[in-house]
Amino acid sequence: MKKIILTLIALQCVMLVYSQSKAEDVKTFTLANGMKIMVLEDHTIPNANMYIFWKVGSRNEYPGITGLSHFFEHMMFNGSKKFGPKMFDRTMEAAGGSNNAYTTENVTVYTDWFPSSSIETIFDLEADRIGDLALDPKMVESERGVVLSERSTGLENSNFRNLSEEVKASAFSAHPYRWSVIGYESDIKNWTIEDLQTYFDTYYAPNNAVVVISGDVTLEGVKKLAKQYFEPIASKATPRKVHTVEPEQRGEKRVMVHKQVSTPNVLLAYHVPATKHEDYYALDVLNSVLSNGKSSKLYSNLVDEKQLVTSVFSYMPESFDPNLFYIYGVANQNIDAGQVEAGILSVLDDVKENGITAKELQKVKNQKLMEFYQTLETIDGKSNTLGTYELYFDDYKKMYTAPEAYEKVTVEDIQRVANTYFTQKNRTVGVLQNNEPEAQTESK
Amino acid sequence: MNKHIKKLFLLSILTLFAFPIAAQDNFKLPEYTKFQLKNGLTIYLMEQHEVPLIQFRGVFPAGAIYDTKELAGLAGITADAMLLGSKNYAKSAIEENTEFVGATIRAGAGKENAFVSSSFMKKDQEQILSIIKDVLMNPTFPKEEIDKMLSRRLVEMDQMKESPRSVIGSYYNSFVYSAHPYGNAEVGTKASIEKITNKTIVDFYAKHFVPSASAIAVVGDFNTKAMKTQLEKLFGTWKGNSAPKVNLNGIPALDKSNVLLVNKADATETTFYIGGKGIARNNPDYVGISVINTILGGRFTSWLNDELRVNSGLTYGARSSFSPYKMGGNFIISTFTANETTEQAIDLALETYNRLHIKGLDDAILTSAKNYVKGQFPPDYETNGALAGLLTDMFVFDFDENYINTFTKQVDELSLKTSKELIEKYFPKDNLQFVLVGKASEIGELAKKYGEVKQVEITADGF
Repeated sequence: MKKIILTLIALQCVMLVYSQSKAEDVKTFTLANGMKIMVLEDHTIPNANMYIFWKVGSRNEYPGITGLSHFFEHMMFNGSKKFGPKMFDRTMEAAGGSNNAYTTENVTVYTDWFPSSSIETIFDLEADRIGDLALDPKMVESERGVVLSERSTGLENSNFRNLSEEVKASAFSAHPYRWSVIGYESDIKNWTIEDLQTYFDTYYAPNNAVVVISGDVTLEGVKKLAKQYFEPIASKATPRKVHTVEPEQRGEKRVMVHKQVSTPNVLLAYHVPATKHEDYYALDVLNSVLSNGKSSKLYSNLVDEKQLVTSVFSYMPESFDPNLFYIYGVANQNIDAGQVEAGILSVLDDVKENGITAKELQKVKNQKLMEFYQTLETIDGKSNTLGTYELYFDDYKKMYTAPEAYEKVTVEDIQRVANTYFTQKNRTVGVLQNNEPEAQTESK
Repeated sequence: MNKHIKKLFLLSILTLFAFPIAAQDNFKLPEYTKFQLKNGLTIYLMEQHEVPLIQFRGVFPAGAIYDTKELAGLAGITADAMLLGSKNYAKSAIEENTEFVGATIRAGAGKENAFVSSSFMKKDQEQILSIIKDVLMNPTFPKEEIDKMLSRRLVEMDQMKESPRSVIGSYYNSFVYSAHPYGNAEVGTKASIEKITNKTIVDFYAKHFVPSASAIAVVGDFNTKAMKTQLEKLFGTWKGNSAPKVNLNGIPALDKSNVLLVNKADATETTFYIGGKGIARNNPDYVGISVINTILGGRFTSWLNDELRVNSGLTYGARSSFSPYKMGGNFIISTFTANETTEQAIDLALETYNRLHIKGLDDAILTSAKNYVKGQFPPDYETNGALAGLLTDMFVFDFDENYINTFTKQVDELSLKTSKELIEKYFPKDNLQFVLVGKASEIGELAKKYGEVKQVEITADGF
């Protein structure tokens, strides 16, 4: 659905590139206003896309305007100088194009998919809303309802959503990652049009964006249109940095959420460094070793062998600032939250004590290669991955040196990062379950 | 829509005419080879060399329509159980051997067919295809693994009801088709799953995984001749029973409006479907109907999304869709809204839908929708997986590449006059069916407005 929040799936970027793809295939140029544009020609289908990555997400908010990054993402579709309310979507769809957008803790990304013959219309539409957004008070009000519905349907349909919001809020006491991307209900209801305008003036500057275009286009054609439509948009002052550093956690935190469920849900979260940190690759491999596939450690041990949970996954988002490594399990029948937690910890302890095998490490490298090829199958995969590297690793070319970075990861590294980060004092444990007297537990 | 905006809208359409969407006109399905083995197994091969990957997809007459009420869910369980072990590969060997090389193997059952699909690198084709062959032809259905899966499935039956979105479709089909096979929930019920045993699974497999009524599509980086030889060697010896029969006649008539109210006591929003009779996948008017549905509820600026989301802020999204089956299908309007705006949202959805019959379309909106479906079409068939899915759909639903190759032409030829006829013929006007999943104490009264209400508890077994 349109304008989704990606808190969980985020950018499943893939790190390995072999001979098929070359850094030279990606052409880049920077406009006079500081907007960086990347172009990857691919003429397989008569279509193209435009991905605009803005370096603004919920980490740039503060109490009172939580959720504003995401709300703003919605408002970017609600009218600008030349294309009034509704006209962005109507014009694009009439030109055969469609669009979407997503907001994370770190970035806001706008995506347009269109027949390549309509590319000028896309530039025209994007330039108008980037340069001359017109916030319409009536649209702001109806959009509040849309976002409240989006928030409520997420909570209605996802236990993870309910629990992870509370776990984040507890794991972070200072850093803005403590609130959800969608924000607090009271903030959604109360922020003002001035808040929105300030946000636009601060963050929606061409020098705060990266544009990726893949598909049936030519570099020259894109250059011409970019100069015509994007270059006249004035650059702005660099936004202030998010300087809050989450203080080191000094003891285990525990959170309980009551909700009507058939079996308990358990979420463990450990603080881990930002994506640019040297441990990223080892942690990323560890994430896959733990939960990618049925032969993964968590699945084979907890779902299959011990039957403690019916499902389990682990997840580590790409992140500008130090963030969390999540492990989530949904209890099997007659299994309590404590047993799930103990089961997950026993798997982690095993990695800490005994490490992983060379075969497990090689498996993950093979899986990464497979994912990479799948990314290259579509022009969307290409644009999203290139943009992700450019933002989180500071240089899309690092995509091409990732194989070496992965090659360097050893089984010893995996054991080391497990011991460094999977510690009791560094974790937050969240439990979501019914609010019922736990007679059985108490009698034990 | 005020006049000012309407004028602007028309202008933008006219401007677009200056840049006709011509590139799409040449979009054709890549070449493929289709042949049948002596045992009747149909095989589709399509070479795609962009990445060194291969996609496999097999379809079998083993979907939920072949389930009995008593053993509902057996089709789905059997498909899943195929991956629990085979003659030459124990469950752990299937999982470890495929995952070690980055490959995946999946199995499952939908309404009409079961599938086994796999994605792997070109260099691993021999190894993975031999696992797939063993899984398909020699599954062992080990009791211990089956028991584990069944007990997990029972718990998941309750867990899935914690998300209205994931179960409303099963409630809808069960409500409108009742005893007809299209009413069978793919996931079954707790009561029926408790009756499933190894023997019922083995019997279902023998009856339904039969080469003569099945198809395999392989798409990707291979040489057609070599792949043909390889597949003939692997699957040529597969013997199976004759094709299973199922009687799909007697789809219940919808002669009055009914409401199914599924009470979820802690719901803060109502998730609802408004539906009626749809179309079969091989309906000759499929493309035209898709274009019209695009206008009603198939894109962001569709009437339903525009009214319920953009204009009124009642929901995050509203849409309509046709879900085609082999015979007949569903037409569904779906959305969700807060408890207190339930009536307003249902009324607005109905009022917006009625516009299609009362006011109809105009040139500008039809042109916009035609451009949209043409422009969005090629990316639908960009991956090996999508192409393999298309080929097996052709087999299952009895259509051919003309669907792709004449798509643009069919869209272009759709006139206002024909649209009007299609709306009259295919978009159900009366006797709509409602399924509301929400808090009965708050929406029970208003539900009565839309038809005779049947109320069930979401926590009760089944759908």
